[in-house]
Amino acid sequence: MAIECLVLGAGQEVGKSCVVVTIGGKRVMFDCGMHMGYHDSRRYPDFARALALFPGAADYTAAISCVVITHFHLDHIGALPYFTEVCGYHGPVYMTYPTKALAPLMLEDYRKVMVDQRGEEEQYSYEDILCCMKKVIPLDLKQTVQVDKDLVIRAYYAGHVLGAAMIYAKVGDAAMVYTGDYNMTPDRHLGAAQIDRMKLDLLITESTYAKTVRDSKHAREREFLKAVHKCVSGGGKVLIPTFALGRAQELCILLDDYWERMNLKIPIYFSAGLTIQANMYYKMLIGWTSQKIKNSYTVHNPFDFKHVCHFERSFINNPGPCVLFATPGMISGGFSLEVFKKWAPSEKNLVTLPGYCVAGTIGHKLMSGKPTTIDVDKDTHIDVRCQIHQLSFSPHTDSKGIMDLTEYLSPNHVILVHGEKPQMAFLKERIESELGMQCYYPANNETVSIPTTQNLKINATEKFIKQNLVFGGDMPKVGGCSEARGILLMEKSKTPKILCEDELLHLLGMEKHLVHFEPLPCSRMKEAESTDEPLLSSRIEEVKHTDGSAVQQASLADLGCERNG
Amino acid sequence: MREPRPLAYIVSSAASSSPLGNYLDPMDDGPSVSVPGPPNAGRPRAAEPRASTRSPEGYEAEVRTLASMSRGIYPLARAEALRGLAAVLETADACGGAVEQCYGCAVELMRDEDEGVRLASVRLIALCADKFAGREGWDGNGNGDQTDLMFLQLSSMARDMSTKVRIEAFNALGKSHRVSEGVLLQSLSKKVIKPNTGSGSIIKGKKLPPKLIFPCAAGIFAHGIEDEFYQVRTAACKSLGALSKFSTQYAQKALDLLMDMMNDDTEEVRMQTLQTLFYMATYGCLSVQEMHMHMFLGLLIDMNALIRDATRKILGLVNLPKLQMFKSAIDVLITSLEKNPEEQEIYSVLFSVGKNHGSFSANIAKHLAKEISMPSDAELILDKPRIKALLIVSISVSFSDDKHNKLDIPEIIFLHAISLLGKISCALGEVVDQDSLLSYLCQKSGTPFWKTRLLTAESGESEGCNVETVAGIRAQIEKTEKSTKCLDQVLTMQSMKIIIETVERAWAMRKSCNICDVRTILRTCKEELRILASNSSGSTGAFLRFLCEYLDAVQFIVEILQSIQLDNSYDLGPISLDVLLEKLDTSILKMKCCYAGFNREMEVQVCELALLANLLRLSKDRIHSKLVLEKLHWTINRLECLCADGSCELSYFSREIKKAFDANFAGSDVCTLLELFHLKPKTDYGMLKAISAVLQVRDNDSENPSSYVCGLPVGVSFDISLCNISRHDRLWLRMIVGESIQHTFLELSSFGGNDEVKCCSTTIPLFATPMAWSFVLRVCLVMECPYGSISVHQRHGGPRDSIVQLCDELDVYFVCTEQR
Ligand SMILES: [Zn+2]
Repeated sequence: MAIECLVLGAGQEVGKSCVVVTIGGKRVMFDCGMHMGYHDSRRYPDFARALALFPGAADYTAAISCVVITHFHLDHIGALPYFTEVCGYHGPVYMTYPTKALAPLMLEDYRKVMVDQRGEEEQYSYEDILCCMKKVIPLDLKQTVQVDKDLVIRAYYAGHVLGAAMIYAKVGDAAMVYTGDYNMTPDRHLGAAQIDRMKLDLLITESTYAKTVRDSKHAREREFLKAVHKCVSGGGKVLIPTFALGRAQELCILLDDYWERMNLKIPIYFSAGLTIQANMYYKMLIGWTSQKIKNSYTVHNPFDFKHVCHFERSFINNPGPCVLFATPGMISGGFSLEVFKKWAPSEKNLVTLPGYCVAGTIGHKLMSGKPTTIDVDKDTHIDVRCQIHQLSFSPHTDSKGIMDLTEYLSPNHVILVHGEKPQMAFLKERIESELGMQCYYPANNETVSIPTTQNLKINATEKFIKQNLVFGGDMPKVGGCSEARGILLMEKSKTPKILCEDELLHLLGMEKHLVHFEPLPCSRMKEAESTDEPLLSSRIEEVKHTDGSAVQQASLADLGCERNG
Repeated sequence: MREPRPLAYIVSSAASSSPLGNYLDPMDDGPSVSVPGPPNAGRPRAAEPRASTRSPEGYEAEVRTLASMSRGIYPLARAEALRGLAAVLETADACGGAVEQCYGCAVELMRDEDEGVRLASVRLIALCADKFAGREGWDGNGNGDQTDLMFLQLSSMARDMSTKVRIEAFNALGKSHRVSEGVLLQSLSKKVIKPNTGSGSIIKGKKLPPKLIFPCAAGIFAHGIEDEFYQVRTAACKSLGALSKFSTQYAQKALDLLMDMMNDDTEEVRMQTLQTLFYMATYGCLSVQEMHMHMFLGLLIDMNALIRDATRKILGLVNLPKLQMFKSAIDVLITSLEKNPEEQEIYSVLFSVGKNHGSFSANIAKHLAKEISMPSDAELILDKPRIKALLIVSISVSFSDDKHNKLDIPEIIFLHAISLLGKISCALGEVVDQDSLLSYLCQKSGTPFWKTRLLTAESGESEGCNVETVAGIRAQIEKTEKSTKCLDQVLTMQSMKIIIETVERAWAMRKSCNICDVRTILRTCKEELRILASNSSGSTGAFLRFLCEYLDAVQFIVEILQSIQLDNSYDLGPISLDVLLEKLDTSILKMKCCYAGFNREMEVQVCELALLANLLRLSKDRIHSKLVLEKLHWTINRLECLCADGSCELSYFSREIKKAFDANFAGSDVCTLLELFHLKPKTDYGMLKAISAVLQVRDNDSENPSSYVCGLPVGVSFDISLCNISRHDRLWLRMIVGESIQHTFLELSSFGGNDEVKCCSTTIPLFATPMAWSFVLRVCLVMECPYGSISVHQRHGGPRDSIVQLCDELDVYFVCTEQR
C-alpha cells in the first residue's frame, strides 16, 4: 500500500496551497487556496488533475472524499467557493469553528477588491460564498471525525492565525499529518502549535522559512517599538500594512501595551471595518488564543484596545504623527496602497513590512533593496523616501521549528510545500542527514508516492499467552531481553494465529512423528549427495523435549508455511 | 477474537496493582493470572519501600522484569514500569549494571507516543544522571562525554509538545552536575554552533544515536523563556541560573536572557528571575553591566513590594564597576526609601552596597560631610531619609575591605552615625554587637566620654574598623569589666529613656499627624527596643521585653482609636476592629501575667491599660456586655486596692471611669472618657522578672518523625524548663492536631530546680491520634491568667481562664506504623 500525494499548489512556491492525498483508496484535498500573485487561470489549482486521479469518477464529488481547510488565509481557502460552486464539488468540507466564522469575511473582502477595484470578471458571487460555507462541517481541536467508514481526521492547534489547525488523517494503518501553516513559538495572542506524537508514514509541512533561524522575539519587539517610537516622536506617520487578522492583533496588543507603559497619546488607527470586526471575533473566540490571553481574559479582554480608534479616509492628509494599520499586508493594492502613495514621499514617515511578501507586490519590491521610485502602473510612480522597517513578526515557524516538529513527530517520510525552491532543497538535505528521513519537495502538479507500513493483527492461544507473556512465568531471558517462542499459523481466510510448539499437532489433528537421524560424517557427504535423500542437516535444530528424548524438527516457520501450502 | 483479551487484562491489571507485590517476586512460583489488584489499592506507586528485605539478586530481578515491562504495548504499563525502575533506583546503591539498565530503558522510551511515558522517562534519566554523578571517581576521568550526552538527551525533551514533559526536562537540566561549556552555550543559542570550534569533544569518537547530536540542545533556553506556559518559563529560568556556575561565558550570556525575562507579564516568572539572579549573585557569577542598570533600577521602584525586596537583595551582592552606576543605584534606593519609608531593610542594603564599594562610598562620605557641616539648620536635615541613607553608606566604608579609604571618613560622619546605631547594627547582622559598635563610633567621632576610656585601653590609634578590630575592641572592653558593664547599663537606660520619650511624643501627635507616621515611629522604637533587649539580661532585659509588649499595646490602641474616630470607616471594618481589640487584650494579658515582681506603679499602669481596653470595647459594642462590665468592675477594684495606702495616686482617668461606672454610664460619653487617658510609661521597674518557658521535644524532627498506631494513644517526651514561674501559676501543655485540642495540666511539683529556673523531663500522652498516615502535632505551653473570679472560657478539662502562650508553638512529627 502507498500514499499518493499530488501537489496542486504551493509546490516549490508560496500561494494556492492545495494537496490531494490518496490514502487507502480515499482522496483527501488539503487546503484549496488561491495564488495572490496571478490574475489569470494560474491563480487556482489545476483541479482537473485531481479528477484524473480517479478515472472512473463522474465528477469531483465522486473523486474527492473530503476537503479539509487548515485556516482562513486566502492562499489556503481562496479557491474553495470556486471549487464548490463553480466546479461543483458537493462532498464534505471541514474546517475549524473560527475558520468557518472568519473565512466568509476574508473571501468577501477579496472578492470586492477583485471585482470592485480591479474591475475583474466575477469568479464567484457573495451568494456563492454563503452557499459554499453552508457545506462546511466545523471541527473542534482534537476531535476525531469519522469522515466515512475508513477515513478518520483530527485537528490539532497550529498557532499561526486564529483557528489554524494541523490535520491528522488516517485510513487503516496509513497515517499522515498535513500541517498547513503553523508556528512553533507562541506570540502574544496565539499559542504555539501543539500535536500528539503518533506513528506517521508521512508529514507534509510548510517550509516558508526553510533556511532562517529567528532570534528571540524579545529583541524583535524591542527593535520594532524603538523604530515606531522614534518615528512618531519625530512627528512622522507609521504605516503598518497587515492582513486584517493575526498580525494586526499581535502588533496591536504590543503597541497598546507599550503606549500604556510609555503614556503615549499619539493615535493608533485601524483602517477598515474589517479589522474592527475581526477584533470582535477574537473577543468571542478567546478559547483559541494563547495561554496568557486565556488567563488574563477573566479580568480584562485583551482585545479591548485602549488606545486604538477608527480611521476615516479624510485623516490621510491630516498633519501630525499617527500609527495606522491598513490592509492588505503586502501593499498589493487596496487601502494600504492608497496610504502608501500619500505617505511614502516623506522621509519622516515609516513603513513596517512583514517578514515575507509575495513576489510582484510593492512590499516585495520595497524589501528587495530600497528603491527610490516604484511604478505602480505606467501612469503612477511613487517617490519612496520614507524609512522602511522590516518586521519579521511572522506567524510562520522558522527552520528550527520545522526541524523540531519533524523530529518530534518522527514520520517515515516528509514532503515540503509552501516555500521557495532553493531553501527547500537546503532543508531537505538537513532533514535527510540529521533526522534520517526521506524528504521530498515536489513542484506543482507532481505526484510523490510513499510506501506505508502495514500492521497485521494476529491471535494467540491461551497457552501461549500464559507461558510467554505473563510476568513471572518461565520467560527465557537472553542477554536481558525476553524472547517468546511459538509457531505462527497462517490459514486461508483466517486471522493468523500464534501458538505453542506442542499445540500444533493437536490443532492440525496430526500424529507426532519421530524421525531419527544418524550423524553424517564428512566422509559420507558425497555419498549422500549422490542419492535422492534430502539434505536436512542444514536446517535442522535440536529441541529438548520434556521426556528427555532428543528429536530433530524442522524450523518452525517452515513447517507452518508448508502446512498452509 | 477471544484470545487477545487475557493479554490486555493481564498487562493492565499488572499496571494497576502493585507489580512488585504481586507478580515480580522471583521467588513466586508461577503467575497468578486471575488475581486482580487489591480492591482498595487504586493506583499505588510501584515504590513500596522494601529495601530491608531485598538482596542484590532481588534488585537485579526486579530491574530486569520492570525493564521487560517497559517494552509492553500499553502506555500506562510502560509508564508504571519506568516509575517502578525509578523507585528501585532510589533505594538501591548505584552499583552493578542496574543504573545502566534503567538508563537504557529510559532512553528507549524518550520518544514514546504517550506523554506519561515520556514524563516518567525524563524523571528516570535525571535520576540516572544523579546516580552516575554520585559514583566514585565519576567526575575525574573522561565521563564528560556521558554527562554531556545526558544533558543533550534531556535538552531534546525540553522541546516536547507536552507542557509537563517540558517542565520536568527543564527541572532535570538544572540539576546537571557537570556540563561542558560548548553544550551550555549551545543551549542558549538557537543557531547551531559548529561543534569543532571550542570544545568539540562531545561527539568526537563517541557513537551517538543519529537523532542525538549537538543541535538538539540548540536554544532550548531561548525557547524556554518564551514558552507559552509560565510554569515552563519559570522552570527554564531556574535552571538557566543553576547552570551558570559551570561557565562564566555562559553566565554572561544567560544574564541577557534573564534581562528579557524581567519584562515577562507574569509575576511568578519575574519573581523567579529575580531569585535566579540572586542565586547567580550568591555564586559570584553575576556581572552587571551598564546596559542592565536601567532595568535593575526600574525594579527598585516597582509597584510590587516583593519585586522591590528581591531586587534589593541582589543589589546588596553585586559589584558595580563604575561610580556612575553606583551613584544611580544609591539614588534610586533613596527614592525608594522616600516612597516606602516603612521598608527599613533598605538601610541594610545601602550599607551592603556601600561596604562592597569602599572607594565609591568614601567619595559619598566626603560630599556628605560637607553638606552636614553647613551651619543652616543641620538638625532638620538629619531627619531626612536621604541624609540617613548617605550616612549609612558613608559609615559602611569602615567595614569595607578596601583599606585605602578608611582614613578618609570625616569625624562628623561618625558623630552623626551614632544616632543610627540600631540601623547600622542591624545591617551588620550578628557579627558585631551593638555595644562594641557604639564604642567604636564614639571613639572615631571623638566623643570625649569614650575617648578617655578607650585610649587607655588601647595603645596607638586604631586603623579603620573591620569586623576583627571591632571584636578586638570588644575584648578590650571586657578587660575593663565592671566599669564597662556599668557603662552598658547607663547607655541602655539612656536609649530607653529616649525611646520612651519618642513614644510619648508619638502618642501626643497621634491626632494631628498621619497615622502612618505614628505607626512608623512606634515600629522603629520597637525594633530598637528589641535590639537592646536581646543584649540585656536580668531585670533590665525583662523590662525591655515588657516595654516591647507595652509598645505593642500602644500601637493597637492607636489603631483602635483611629478606627473608632473614623466611625465605621470603610477600610477598617467591624471585623478588623474586633481583631485589634482581641490583640490588645492578649497584649495586656501578657504584660499582666508574663512578668513577676511588679512594683505598684507598674501594676497600676497595666491596670489602667486594661481599663482602657475594656472601655474601648464598650465604645465599640455600644451595648454593655456583662462580661466587659464585670472586668471593668474587677479592674477598678484592683486599682483602688493598689492605691488604698496612698503610695500612689489613682489617676484622673481611673477616677472618672469609676464615677461613670458607678452611675452605670448614664449621662457619660465613653468617647470623652477615652480622651482622658494619659500615656505615661513608667521607667522605674524595680526587680522585674520575665516569666518564660522553653519547650523541647526529644528525638523528633521532620526528618525523624515518631511513630504511632492510628487511633491509639501515643506518648511524647518533652524537656521543659521554666523561668520565674511561681507555685501558684497554673500551666498547661496544649496539643493541637488539626481541629482537636488536648490540654494537659502540668504538675509544678514534679519540676526540679530553684525558684528561678525549674526543669522537668516528662512524657505526656496524646490520646486521640488521628486516622491518618502522618500528622503534625502543634505543642505549646500556656499559662492561665485569672481575671479575678471571672471565668471567661467554659472549657471541659482545660484551662478555666484566659491563657497566654509562654513559648512559640513547637511542631512534633508523627508517622503511622504499618498495620498488617
Ligand atoms: Zn497562512
